[in-house]
Amino acid sequence: MILRWRGGALAAAFTLGIAVATSAAAQSANDIPRQANGKPDFSGIWQTLSEADYDLEPHAGRRDAPPGPGVVDGGLLPYRDDARPQKEQNFANRAEDDPRLKCWVLGVPRSVYYPAPFQILQRERDLTLVHQFGHQVRTIHTNGTLHPETIEEPFWLGDSRGTWEGDTLVVDVVGFYDETWLDRAGNYHSSDLHVVERWEFVDPNTISYTATIEDPQVYTQPWTLNVLLNRRRDKDFQLIEDYCFTLPYEQHYPHKDSEQ
Amino acid sequence: MSRLSKLPLLAALASACPLPTSAQSAPATGAVPPEQVMQSRWGGTVPVIHSGEWAGPRLPDGQPDVQGHWSNTIANHNNFTDPEAGPPGEPSRKLDLSRDQRSPSRVSDPPDGQIPYLPEARALQQEFERNFANPTQEKYIEPLVRCAPGGVPKSFYWHGYEIRQYPGYVAIFFNAGTRIIRLDNSPRLHPSIKLWNGDSRGRWEGNTLVVEVTNNNGKPLFGRTGDFMSENAIVEERFIFDPDGKRYNYVATFNDPTVYSRPWTATIPARRYTEADSTDGWHYEVVAANRPGQPLLHERPERICVENNGPFGGGAVGVPVSEPIIAR
Repeated sequence: MILRWRGGALAAAFTLGIAVATSAAAQSANDIPRQANGKPDFSGIWQTLSEADYDLEPHAGRRDAPPGPGVVDGGLLPYRDDARPQKEQNFANRAEDDPRLKCWVLGVPRSVYYPAPFQILQRERDLTLVHQFGHQVRTIHTNGTLHPETIEEPFWLGDSRGTWEGDTLVVDVVGFYDETWLDRAGNYHSSDLHVVERWEFVDPNTISYTATIEDPQVYTQPWTLNVLLNRRRDKDFQLIEDYCFTLPYEQHYPHKDSEQ
Repeated sequence: MSRLSKLPLLAALASACPLPTSAQSAPATGAVPPEQVMQSRWGGTVPVIHSGEWAGPRLPDGQPDVQGHWSNTIANHNNFTDPEAGPPGEPSRKLDLSRDQRSPSRVSDPPDGQIPYLPEARALQQEFERNFANPTQEKYIEPLVRCAPGGVPKSFYWHGYEIRQYPGYVAIFFNAGTRIIRLDNSPRLHPSIKLWNGDSRGRWEGNTLVVEVTNNNGKPLFGRTGDFMSENAIVEERFIFDPDGKRYNYVATFNDPTVYSRPWTATIPARRYTEADSTDGWHYEVVAANRPGQPLLHERPERICVENNGPFGGGAVGVPVSEPIIAR
């Protein structure tokens, strides 16, 4: 009797486990927000909890960064031997040279995992990413348009063209300046940067964000990072504009003497 | 190809030139005389558009559909109350004409077209105006040339801009800065938070988008004449759209007892730009999307400014580019 009872309990638990798993799968497929055209609706305000912006690679805590397990498949970035010294120099000078310290556009993918909120505004033809930090606005076109035939002058946030693969938004981004960094640790890229992003819901309040980085001038092979983006559900949350590049001079306006 | 993001610097340099059109590369205009092009682009009158029902197209959430590219029809930010007079110290050729031969003041109330400043505030505005052409102090440098957001109301006569709409939001993407206008009654930011673009809550009344802007920091001057509000200002904006979808008037009332003797109202007419219009480097800064075999579709490229606005590759006017600005 005891054995049978225990066997029955095991079977019941097993059945229950299947039911829960099925339910979870059903929820992720059906209960995510959707636009009128059936595509996933990423509208909302998002922010990573990860330490990606401090250092994409695994790192112990240091004066200017909390510890982080790393967000890159395989752990370390596959630098070319002739590209690694630049990274090391960037790291050594990071307290002065990180473009973020001037409140400049952070680039892609860094703008996504910089630890400040950004808002996605979504239409059928595009998604607009308005980042709280600085003046960054990126349009991801989802209307079937292609990258420009030629890019005479590159973009700080690249040229983004998205397509839907089921419920995953796949975004191809090219046409970059080489002046942005990938994190505060000085990981960097060249103007040959090519990013492929994959945006997909884990649940209605969490997006899995994956970026595959290809840059043969700097890396021996493509590599992939993944972070989760969490919906900011704080009561009445909204972006607060943060044009921080105005901080060195804003005290002079309107019509204020310098010593004030 | 002119680089959109360099326009603030170019415009700053162009303040030394007598005509506002010198800041832009003129569009290909065929046989139309340049003077006529300039007049049609920079002069004009204010059309009458009444608030009322909206008879035009609507979005699925019921909002009037006013999405697309827009720009003002009268002059630019050189001079707020005499828009075609040129910036301080650089009078335009039209300044020789009688006042009624130039476009009207943006101040539609009071009827004299002047901002009803309190005496101390008027003195500050005039001090800036006197010093604009040869700034000897930081406070005389126009914040816009340092890449500051245009703010309210200057964003509406500083390059063209795009309106995109979403359930619960109207978003406006300016050449310098972005406004996300919430269409709900959610609580505002605490009054201690002061912002270049303020904090906006809006609602649709027929053909009119009514927006109340609080939390202004008072820092974005209205133009090169130094006109301003303070951080105490509350602005009520009325975007009155013509149901034909081609024009709207921006009518904004400024309440600020610390700067003005009474509330006053600015009126700024705007027109829509579409694929039927030529791009022109000022009002309509778009590029053709790459979609072979399909009709022309314009899209807005990214705007940057501080990243390349300085003489040596970046930075704001008067700010060293080598020093960190933030520590976060």
